[in-house]
Amino acid sequence: MKALSLPLPAEPMPGQIRFGALRRSARLLFGTPLNAVLTLLFGVLLVATVPPMLRWLVIDAVLFDPSPRACRVATGACWSFIYAKSGQLLFGIYPLDERWRPAIVCMLILALLAWSVRPASWAPRLAALWVAALVLIFWLMAGGFGLTEVPTSSWGGLPVTLILTVVAIGVAFPVGILLALARRSTMPAIRIGAVVLIESVRGLPLLSILFVASIMMPLFLPEALLPDKFVRALVALTIFAAAYLAEVIRGGLQAIPNGQYEAAAALGLPFWRTQYLVILPQAIRVAIPALANTIIVMIKNTSLVLVVGLFDLISSGKAVLADPDWPSPAAETFLFIGAIFFALSFSFARFADFLERRGPTAH
Amino acid sequence: MLSDAKTRSIIIQCAPVALAAAFAALLVSTTFANLRARGIPIGFDFLTMPSRIVISEAILTYKSRDPYYWAIVTGLANTVFISAVVIVFSSVLGLVVGVTRLSSNPLAAGTCRVWVEVARNSPPIVLLIFLYSLWWKVLPPVGEALNPLPGVYASMRGFVVPAVSMDVATAGLLVIALALALAAAGWAAARRGWMPPLAAPAILAVGVAGLWLADAKFSVDWPTFTGSNFKGGKELTPELSTILIGLTIYTTGFVAEIVRGGVLSVGRGQWDAGHSLGLPRGKILRVIIIPQMLRVIVPPLNSQYINVVKNSTLAIAVGYPDFLAVMNTIISKSSHSIEGVFIILGVYLALNLSLSSAANWYNRRIAIVER
Repeated sequence: MKALSLPLPAEPMPGQIRFGALRRSARLLFGTPLNAVLTLLFGVLLVATVPPMLRWLVIDAVLFDPSPRACRVATGACWSFIYAKSGQLLFGIYPLDERWRPAIVCMLILALLAWSVRPASWAPRLAALWVAALVLIFWLMAGGFGLTEVPTSSWGGLPVTLILTVVAIGVAFPVGILLALARRSTMPAIRIGAVVLIESVRGLPLLSILFVASIMMPLFLPEALLPDKFVRALVALTIFAAAYLAEVIRGGLQAIPNGQYEAAAALGLPFWRTQYLVILPQAIRVAIPALANTIIVMIKNTSLVLVVGLFDLISSGKAVLADPDWPSPAAETFLFIGAIFFALSFSFARFADFLERRGPTAH
Repeated sequence: MLSDAKTRSIIIQCAPVALAAAFAALLVSTTFANLRARGIPIGFDFLTMPSRIVISEAILTYKSRDPYYWAIVTGLANTVFISAVVIVFSSVLGLVVGVTRLSSNPLAAGTCRVWVEVARNSPPIVLLIFLYSLWWKVLPPVGEALNPLPGVYASMRGFVVPAVSMDVATAGLLVIALALALAAAGWAAARRGWMPPLAAPAILAVGVAGLWLADAKFSVDWPTFTGSNFKGGKELTPELSTILIGLTIYTTGFVAEIVRGGVLSVGRGQWDAGHSLGLPRGKILRVIIIPQMLRVIVPPLNSQYINVVKNSTLAIAVGYPDFLAVMNTIISKSSHSIEGVFIILGVYLALNLSLSSAANWYNRRIAIVER
């Protein structure tokens, strides 16, 4: 506990910055016995692990040589494989001539996400923008109306991951609000229904829900009502996300003081207008940091659709590795895929931090 | 009539109930029609029939002649084993990493921060597949197996560790001693003073010593290397090792953040207050700091433990037969899908609800009692 209560070092005077900084870092590294031990311990650990990793990652790696032979002889990572296969890795088995379409879809979704996280653009018309964008995305991906038609079974790679994430969260959000309101309802049938649905979905692993949706659903539903595999996985992800979002929104609702309801009732507002105009805007604002965390969890969860045979980023990675011409650089491929997921959720996590620091009351 | 709040409420409630009932009726009728069309009988009779499925590795002994219910129990035991090991290791590591992240030493804090960020921001399934792909790249063949600790070998074929074997009676007595020790720990938590904290280890020590004196069938089997193979010991396959290591790395990141939040939630003033009362450091930690930390830590830690049980289903990604994977095989082999789905849902709900109710009970015990 001694290292924890070490007082923060004083700011150095302007004239002695260099000397002060040196002394300060020396004190941080070796100031107390505990710190000296920690420095030695982690120093040894880093010296033992970082140089070999760097050698594998960069120094001995094949970076630009596009021939598989270079990768066979090299002892380091085979990054030229990722580069040579990037199209197939990112877009899966989507028809070669049409790859510009998923490329545009990916850029569109990422641009929209970046636009939507600006607090200044939070307004009802953002939802309209998303709906319009989703129509455009489905047209681009599926084709028709002048474009070659592509069935969902040939969709693959990054666009599948992004579409599943965005649509599941987008549809789950209003459903989650309804579920949260239902759980706080005074009507017993509605409240109990919501509790049973939310708690049983939260008590189950996502994989088991995905299994039921993709393997069992053909047995449960008549042929005519049965959606295709992509939509079934999407429905499972949406139900899962809705249950978690409902709990987060319920947390926000609980933070709203009773006076707000009473004020709305005094103005004569009916139930739905009370919720829409008074309660929900405040509740959602309180819940934003927790919502952002749930969204990160969903970004990561989307990767599970691989197990039920959907062609997401990981499955296209596995497919790419099957090429017999290359020495199957599995670690590099999964590192690359992991880096994509990391970039997505790390940037979202930083955004969540920013929202949390900004506080719930600021507008 | 519609202006009467009570009547309106009943009408509003009827609509979703009717809708749900209609949907359920559709599901049930279609399912039965489909099953009849395929000639599949419904019922749990198949559980006692020989399964003839292969479970590649198991904690319990399983042969493919065994009945279906034993296959299910075997899968469940694998899931419980993975979850328990991951929970224990990630709790300990998470405590260390979380506290180290708060250290003023930039080297230590930075390394732990990298761990936490990587774990929290990568999907566990990608982490597992990546680790699994590393296995044959990093570790040597069996002939040159690494021997980091006495009795522990690591090679391409997985880990070999010393095995502890005991007969059923010894295992039962040990479980009883552990349960008594846990009960004593619970009793100690409710009291103060020097005696209670010693009760749990004392009971455990007496139990173990008693077993020793009674010459219980208890032996440690050390693995030996015979040039081309290992003899004795317990072999952990690459699949099992990957899922244990990967999930522990992943969960540690989350536990570390929870611990860090807990430590930060107790203000420095609490230490000062303790010092000004003349309490020694250990006592401040035990009676002032830790009780306040636990209140912040326990609820999120509970949901993290439930997440471990849920994430153990990812074993399927590296081909380890956990409960869900075994159920999946059983369903496709026996075509008893309805019963299979009910067993899956029932088991996971039971596991998670019992974990969370145990944690809720503990949480109520340590919560602030407000007047």
